Amino acid sequence: MLDATQQPVRIGASSFLARLLQLRPGNATLTAGLVLAAIILLASAIGPVLYGRDPYALHTASVLAGPSAAYPFGTDDLGRNAFARLLVAGRSTLYVALPATAVAFVVGTLYGLASGLGPRLLDQALMRLLDAVLALPGLVVLIFFGAIVPLNTGSLILLLGLISWPSLARLVRNETLAQRDRDFVHASRQLGGGLAHIAGTHLLRVMAPVLVVNFTFLVGDMIFALSALSFLGLGVQPPHTSWGGLLQEGLELVALDAWWLVLPPGLMIFAAMLATSLIGQGLLARGGSR
Amino acid sequence: MTGVVLSLRQLGVELAGRDGPRLASNMAPVLEGLDLEVREGEMTALVGESGSGKTIAALAVMRLLPPGARITGQALFGGEDLLGLDERQMRARRGSVGMVFQNPLSALNPSMTIGRQVAEGHRLHTGASAQAARRHAVDLLGEVGIPDPARRLDEYPHQFSGGQRQRVMIAAALACNPKLLIADEPTTGLDPLVARQILDLLAKLQRDHRMGLLFITHDLSLVERHAQRLCVLYAGRAVEWGEAPAFFARPRHPYSHALLAAVPRLGQATLRGIAGTMPDPGHRPHGCRFAPRCPQRQDACTRAYPPPVGDGRTQAACLFPLGEIPVAAALPEAPAATTPLPGSALLQMQSVTIRYGSRAGLLGGSKAAVAPSLDDVSLELARGECLGIVGESGSGKSTLGRAILHMLRYEGRILLDGRALGDLSPGDRRRERRRVQVVFQDPRESLNPRLRIGAIIAEALQLGGQHDRDSLRRQTDALLERVGLNAALAGRLPNAISGGQAQRVAVARALAARPDIIVLDEPTSALDVSTQAMLLNLLRDLSRHEQLAYVMISHDIAAIAWLADRIAVLRAGRIVELATTDQLVNHPRDPYSASLVASAPRLGAATITVPGEA
Repeated sequence: MLDATQQPVRIGASSFLARLLQLRPGNATLTAGLVLAAIILLASAIGPVLYGRDPYALHTASVLAGPSAAYPFGTDDLGRNAFARLLVAGRSTLYVALPATAVAFVVGTLYGLASGLGPRLLDQALMRLLDAVLALPGLVVLIFFGAIVPLNTGSLILLLGLISWPSLARLVRNETLAQRDRDFVHASRQLGGGLAHIAGTHLLRVMAPVLVVNFTFLVGDMIFALSALSFLGLGVQPPHTSWGGLLQEGLELVALDAWWLVLPPGLMIFAAMLATSLIGQGLLARGGSR
Repeated sequence: MTGVVLSLRQLGVELAGRDGPRLASNMAPVLEGLDLEVREGEMTALVGESGSGKTIAALAVMRLLPPGARITGQALFGGEDLLGLDERQMRARRGSVGMVFQNPLSALNPSMTIGRQVAEGHRLHTGASAQAARRHAVDLLGEVGIPDPARRLDEYPHQFSGGQRQRVMIAAALACNPKLLIADEPTTGLDPLVARQILDLLAKLQRDHRMGLLFITHDLSLVERHAQRLCVLYAGRAVEWGEAPAFFARPRHPYSHALLAAVPRLGQATLRGIAGTMPDPGHRPHGCRFAPRCPQRQDACTRAYPPPVGDGRTQAACLFPLGEIPVAAALPEAPAATTPLPGSALLQMQSVTIRYGSRAGLLGGSKAAVAPSLDDVSLELARGECLGIVGESGSGKSTLGRAILHMLRYEGRILLDGRALGDLSPGDRRRERRRVQVVFQDPRESLNPRLRIGAIIAEALQLGGQHDRDSLRRQTDALLERVGLNAALAGRLPNAISGGQAQRVAVARALAARPDIIVLDEPTSALDVSTQAMLLNLLRDLSRHEQLAYVMISHDIAAIAWLADRIAVLRAGRIVELATTDQLVNHPRDPYSASLVASAPRLGAATITVPGEA
């Protein structure tokens, strides 16, 4: 009854790396995305420490100086080191965007599971509520709340998180409906598994690939939303700054030809969104090839 | 002496492996050195389990293999090598070779009337007028047994039943008066009664039209009555070939033997499966491919591929061919079936009726309009009893199983130990529910693809309130061993084990809940013949040792008869007959049960007798 012909299964991180290096559709995309994301994360997380210059110090002698050895990305109109500011801006952008993504992710997943597994009436009620939330233009809501709620890291995370979950919730609900009548779910119910058990042990596991892909896309969306908000002055508040904030400051000075204040933050936003998109697309392509 | 229509000579096919780029180094032989003859007015059966290369052989002859496939050898059709023709020449020959596929629904275009599809080939190859082609199509449909063909000509494939669609496919294949008809598993997926009719039809057409018929199947018992010639494939090579009657009278190769013994037949006492799995292309052993699973294996078997032995009638590639060993012993006196005493039944179904689609839908469909899929069914199941539920697709047998599992709403009462599940508190309900477990048809679908085997079984134990890690592991290992699996499989994912192994895991998971009843919903239908027998044996052993009751649902009456004490025959949602297995198999009272019994393979019906005794 035992057959010796079958190969042992390899598991673990080394095999993940080995698989990444194979010529498979999606692997090049995924690798590019991961490398880009790693650069951005490292620059934002430990960049400010490594670079060591004070992003808030005013160098009145060299206001609006172009890129040079002393100031790689020049200085702004108050004489602050633009490179140091770009690094801390990245840190505060991710500091808000990543937790906000987590909030949206958890809310969306739980909402979708409840809707897909709950009784019909609950499902219908939740879906109508979701439609209502989706119908609100997100940015307008953010501007509205931004005007009445004191803006700090905590409130920004909650605001961004609480308007970004609906698309994920709908996706999770549809996946739940597609998976919940599979035989292994029935078998689990027959063994006495309750809804929470079925969701945790079976549905989330089966959906994991879809969830991971959508999490990466959600991170990109969140960075964009936060940048837009900051650009409008409703995001990260001074003296702290974010990529969106830097972009806005730079654009005000664009008449003075200070291109070094506009290009780097714009490119960082672009690079962050590109990285998440590449990772997501790469994961999708790999999933499709199996 | 009849003329040879098709002659395969040393036909070999290599295909690129499933993963990775198509490099020369990655090519794996899926078929090697196949010699085969199909003669005018004869049926040649090509028999093998999945992965044996039987379909590849047919596709190679028709030149329908994917690009990149490497074909060697010859396929002589009317003296001409089909493999040497260019695409245009081949197209001209395709009319004289008809092909019938396994799934008639995907082989028919859903947006074309069947009249046009039947006539299409005829018009392409003869240039007949639309009118003449239409008349021809009516004739053909009539010939394959479609009633009122002139009217049905303008209908679409979805308006035909599965069996009728296959008849339409056959008519389309006949349209150009082929000299050779290739039928690739044409009856798989059809109910046994319908399958039998399709096979009879093919045999009749092949005689009437003096065609050669190449019949590809995994089911030896199916071709027993009609095939003149036969070739058994295993892992890409022919293991035994020759005249069919001689083969069935005396199979020489241990694999042929095992395959015959693995098919459940009415009246059979023992069922022998074949341990192990067929090796994949690229991982095939040196020497005889069957050697790793062969009970007769000796050292010499693994050295080189064995040369053929035998006489003018059958030959086998085996160093130690079997002598005259009885394939199966006759049934000993059947033990008296346990009929439940009134009131002592473990499970009672009382007037259970189920209607699908009765929920108020968008269009507000009325309740009365829907025919119930289960209509006033009452049953009892005793402790330790095995009750078989047999019927064709649409008879409501799966619905019945799902009702017992409380997977759908029903009218009537279902009682376990005299208590209805609905009357219990939620906590008791969960405990009671665990007493009834299930094994589904498709083992892949019933195991979460992202959980390891050990975790799947541990889940069943954990939901029973056990959480001690060491004890869970010990019990998981013990359960795996109890269903005949190595405990080392616990670390694998479901897609890294075979279908038969996966079905055993499903059985182990059911056992983990210590149930009183297991509902077996077509437990062997998705498995290969050799694996089927192993599973049936396991189920029988378990029921003997554990006081387990089964409700076994299947369209295969022979498999059910092998396991069940009593059998209920279900038709259109109603029980038409409920009797002990012995009674039903030997003296069916209802005409429908009689026809089901008649369509099943039976011990000794054809040539499966002990040579010398016959």
